[in-house]
Amino acid sequence: MPIPPEPQHPSYAKVFLTFARNSLVRDMMFRANFLIEAVSSLSWAVMNVGFYWIIFEHANSIGAQTGWEKYEFFVFMGTTWIINSIVQAFFMPNSEEFSELIRTGGLDFAMLKPIDTQFLISLRKVAWSSLANLVLGIVIVAISLAQLASRAEDPWQFQPAMLVLYPLYIACGVAILYSLMICLAATSVWLGRNQTLYDFWFYITNFSRYPMEIYARGWGLPLLVVFTFVIPVLVVVNVPARLLAEPLSPRASWEWPLAGFTLLATLGCLCFSRWVFRTALLSYRSASS
Amino acid sequence: MPIIEINNLSKSYRVYQKREGLLASIRGLFHREYRDVHAVRDVSLSVDKGEFVAFLGPNGAGKTTTLKLLSGVIYPTGGSASVMGYTPWVRENAYRRKFALVMGQKNQLWWDLPAQESFRLHQQIYRIDQRDFQSTLDELTELLDVSELLSRPVRELSLGERMKMELIAALLHSPEVLFLDEPTIGLDVVAQHNIQQFLRYYQEQRGITILLTSHYMKDIAALCKRVVVITDGTIKFDGSLAGVIDSFSGTKLVRLQLADRQSADGLEQFAEVESVELPKVTLRCEKSAVTKTLATVLQKYEVEDVSVEDPPLEEVIADLYATGAATEQATQEVSR
Repeated sequence: MPIPPEPQHPSYAKVFLTFARNSLVRDMMFRANFLIEAVSSLSWAVMNVGFYWIIFEHANSIGAQTGWEKYEFFVFMGTTWIINSIVQAFFMPNSEEFSELIRTGGLDFAMLKPIDTQFLISLRKVAWSSLANLVLGIVIVAISLAQLASRAEDPWQFQPAMLVLYPLYIACGVAILYSLMICLAATSVWLGRNQTLYDFWFYITNFSRYPMEIYARGWGLPLLVVFTFVIPVLVVVNVPARLLAEPLSPRASWEWPLAGFTLLATLGCLCFSRWVFRTALLSYRSASS
Repeated sequence: MPIIEINNLSKSYRVYQKREGLLASIRGLFHREYRDVHAVRDVSLSVDKGEFVAFLGPNGAGKTTTLKLLSGVIYPTGGSASVMGYTPWVRENAYRRKFALVMGQKNQLWWDLPAQESFRLHQQIYRIDQRDFQSTLDELTELLDVSELLSRPVRELSLGERMKMELIAALLHSPEVLFLDEPTIGLDVVAQHNIQQFLRYYQEQRGITILLTSHYMKDIAALCKRVVVITDGTIKFDGSLAGVIDSFSGTKLVRLQLADRQSADGLEQFAEVESVELPKVTLRCEKSAVTKTLATVLQKYEVEDVSVEDPPLEEVIADLYATGAATEQATQEVSR
């Protein structure tokens, strides 16, 4: 009987499950910390909901004829939480640690393993507590959709395509943010240290958390162009939220091309981040013994 | 056929030359001066399968950099290397499945989790069959006597216990080539001894090839038949441990046991007097002059016992490190 060739690649799914499992074991070990993290991020999210609730006491919609009224916007906000919490649970702790691994030379071990280094670096830890906001996001979206569906005038209607498109574009959004984050973290190879990761992240995601119509005026236009076509953070939440909440009914003519562009942008971002990651490894010097 | 073949391997870094003081720091923002550091220069070496080779050299000599180059963690500036037929820095999975690197100063196990969990992760990454995994793990934990500690979080282990766990993690996939970078650093004598014993046994059993760097002469004396001395990024010596002394120490120690009432006065005319603790006297003299000096001394003094010894290895090595440049000549003589 011929001997089957030795498998050269690990099963990535199994490795990921082991990462997720180990992270959970660790989180459970420090359960007070786990609870505090979950509660504090939930409170921050709830305060945000409250804040926008108050804003909508003063205004009916964001901009005239944009369709972003209270519950449409709450769908948007829920989508923001869903995307951010996925990024924070799976990628944020790892990107942060990537910077640290570069600075301390711990990256050595990751590079020795017979597995794709970017995979290993990007997914080794899961911050389970961040998923609390995912649940909150889903709840906000569900309640808002129910409100939209029950209103008298032009009620929201469920379309089967949404079931596919919404998760697909959530995934695109996550992929774009992930690419951005891993690129920022990889710069530590050249900068020696990069503590501005969180700051950058905050500045940039801040642009993504509002409907893009906000930027469609005056000084906002250059921002709109830059953050759509150069660093495409504006499409991250806008596209899935528009697809689901349908603020403009019927949809505007530019919405489908934008959705198409988002797919391309996602692919472009992933490829670019892979290139940056590989180039960074070439320059890796490994810290003192 | 050699399993590791290194030809003219070089690695240099450009580092920012920082000057002292605030003003200089501000100037440094606009105009930076760089300096090239040659961590490894023109190193050539070949190692046969089953050899246990020690890299010896002062801090910053390029030992670790060489191991990192061979592990594919960093890219060389010049030269070539081949380990088991692979070029390390291509980092093929097939190569990475066959070797391991252990660094005494860094740990790869999850700090908060029991070592067992990290081992399981390795099993997944290296795709080790469950039965092989269990038998290897059992064997290793038994040899290192850590079976009881598998389920204790790594952060609660002592340094020695942690090092043993690091070794196990590195050996789970049964590597054919093992790079050890100061595996016993900071360990107490007992733990050092345990790890030495383990390494010797394991290497003999499996016939694997090991490159080791260490500052402990005992490690090296216990384990390695072949020693490569590196200073300033270049190989200064390659041969047996005894050869280090032959090549680098020009002197011998002559220990005399003088007869009762025999004074040590005047011995300094014949050789350098190292110590006098009557009736014992230690002289140091040039290798070439040993017989002549000894003959004279024996003639003029009443001596009960005599022995001629090499100076202690530590001393030779320390001299060697201190006079890195002065050994250039010796290199030419001993280079093979």
